[in-house]
Amino acid sequence: MAYLLQNTLTYTIPLMIVALAGIYAERSGIINLALEGIMIMGAFIGVLVVFSFQKSGAFDQDGAMALMLLALVIAAVAGAVFSLLLAFAAIHLKADQTIGGTALNLLAPALALFLIKIVCNQSTLGMYTGNAASWFMLKKSDFGITGEMNLLQEVFLHKIYPTTYICIVLYVVLSIVLYKTKFGLRLRACGENPQAADSLGINVYKMRYTGVLISGALSGIGGFVYALTTANCASTANVAGFGFLALAVMIFGNWKPLSTAGAALMFGLCQCIAAGYGSIDINGDGKFALSVLAKKLGDSGLDAGAVFRLLPFVVTLVVLAFTSKNSRAPKAEGIPYDKGSR
Amino acid sequence: MKKILALVLAVLMVAAMFAGCAKKGEDKTAATGYDYEAIPNEMTSEDGKYQIALVTDVGDLLDKSFNQGTWEGLKRYASENGKSYKYYQPANGANATTADRYEAMKAAATNGAEIIIAPGFLQADALAQAAAEFPEVKFVFIDGWDLGLPNIMAIDFQEEQSGYLAGYAAVKEGYTKLGYTGGGAGTNPACCRFGYGYVQGAQAAAAELGITVDIKYSYNYGASFSASPELQTMLDGWYATGTEVIFACGGSMCQSAFAAAGANDGKVIGVDVDQSSQSDSVITSATKGLREAVMIACGDFYNGKWAGGQKTLGAKDDAVGLPTETWSLEKFTLDDYNALFASLKDGTVVVDRAYDTGLKNEAFANVNLEIIE
Repeated sequence: MAYLLQNTLTYTIPLMIVALAGIYAERSGIINLALEGIMIMGAFIGVLVVFSFQKSGAFDQDGAMALMLLALVIAAVAGAVFSLLLAFAAIHLKADQTIGGTALNLLAPALALFLIKIVCNQSTLGMYTGNAASWFMLKKSDFGITGEMNLLQEVFLHKIYPTTYICIVLYVVLSIVLYKTKFGLRLRACGENPQAADSLGINVYKMRYTGVLISGALSGIGGFVYALTTANCASTANVAGFGFLALAVMIFGNWKPLSTAGAALMFGLCQCIAAGYGSIDINGDGKFALSVLAKKLGDSGLDAGAVFRLLPFVVTLVVLAFTSKNSRAPKAEGIPYDKGSR
Repeated sequence: MKKILALVLAVLMVAAMFAGCAKKGEDKTAATGYDYEAIPNEMTSEDGKYQIALVTDVGDLLDKSFNQGTWEGLKRYASENGKSYKYYQPANGANATTADRYEAMKAAATNGAEIIIAPGFLQADALAQAAAEFPEVKFVFIDGWDLGLPNIMAIDFQEEQSGYLAGYAAVKEGYTKLGYTGGGAGTNPACCRFGYGYVQGAQAAAAELGITVDIKYSYNYGASFSASPELQTMLDGWYATGTEVIFACGGSMCQSAFAAAGANDGKVIGVDVDQSSQSDSVITSATKGLREAVMIACGDFYNGKWAGGQKTLGAKDDAVGLPTETWSLEKFTLDDYNALFASLKDGTVVVDRAYDTGLKNEAFANVNLEIIE
């Protein structure tokens, strides 16, 4: 059970933080299709920071947490800077946002791969020394726990990357900011009816820039978290489509933080079942129900592994089919704001 | 803005506090007895011709595994014998086609290559095409089979012996729950032989000890020989449910295994080259003499002893085995290893090579083999 929850979190955390990135951009009125591209840049820059500081010897294993924080911050900055390209094109030049985002998605993997080749002469940039788990992962001994743990401790205080906490806190804080503060209200107004917002003295351009920048920073963080937790802190200029998945999760979650978190959890759960069905022990009796089911499916001639791997996509299709009727995007998203057309 | 700046500065200050503790220098020659990294990967020849060329398999040049082992042998031979050398990576990375590989070989040949090393069984078609077009150039097909052309030397290994040693050592060391994750989705003969030998070795050791061991055996998520979140989740699950040591057999897939092992304090057996320096979790590596093979082939060529056709290297050539200096095995001693290796060498222990018929049909009395598809 702890295994199931933990691996679900591994998929969920990057998905949900990047989906929140999408929410911030779209709520301010800019469609941010470039989530995937920004993630790739964030992952690359974050890993590069880890790699170069390890190489220069500035950090040893005792300073691993500081190094991770530094990488996270710089990845966020890199993501924000990269998203400026989209913001400039979409807000200043009033370009088509979908095309701008797509352009960034095409640019990012190529640019990252090009730079990786320059840095280390191969297509994977990894840590200079050690493994992600041995450097950055917190174990129960770090919390002073000895002996048996209950489920909650096992999931949240053992074998966990500190980025998980950071992302959860960020998610909660930024969700509150979006709904309970003046700034949040203004941001949302710019995505619903920018003319009305402008008439009340809100600078729509500034708000939209802010929305996209926050979005970029969060995607950058998401990218680094992805690289850290699922790729042994290595960047291959590829985040396996997590940026696009996050877009789907955001739409699925109806542009609302709480439902988006739920959607990310559900998707992560399905992914985890797909990859680890043979090791999931729900009630702790040492029996693996899904593994038994897989064997039965296999006996009847079905490829059990393929059936489980289909799960995330089938579930998404089914749920979307039932919920998309109520789905409601921010009204003014995708429309460049023009002061003159009031 | 000021606040953000202050925050960044604060983080940098914390970072600086940890600075200065220089990393202790690793002795890179310790593992291999030879400092391969001292030879540059890029060299410029005076006449613009590169005599020895490598056309890489899928994956990176420095994949810490298959390509890198071949490349290091090539570099060493070239630098010791004053030859110029260069590597070529076929276009399109992991999705390289026969045409891409052929183009890379053609580029090598037109750049003056006298001998081209092509590791990986995927290169067969491209090799046949290029070797026919450039009959004066010699080709070495690592992990390959006889393609019937006199200018191709095919070298393969008795990986089953190496896998056997690893499986035997792991069980003798006291591990009873083993795992195997292989690349190529079951189509790569080398990976399959490693895996089949591993199971046979575990069986032999378990029979001697009178115990039964469990082996989880899977080719899932290894089709492209690369690390993936899915592979990590699967292996994490294996460790979480009791698997103690996993034989990670396929290029960069080891990254996923290291990540999963690191989280669960599990152990990993490396492959192809000695991987002990990459992770503390590596207890030993089932190696095959990629470096030696390249050096033998180049030596044959430049000493006028070239012969096309098939060459199979195994224990008898000291081309497979476990790197005994760097392993962290304790109960399985060097004497045990040497005795077993000697009996592999003289043929008293024979390891079956026919994985396609053997693995699924054979009954292993002391192994619960769970094949995960």
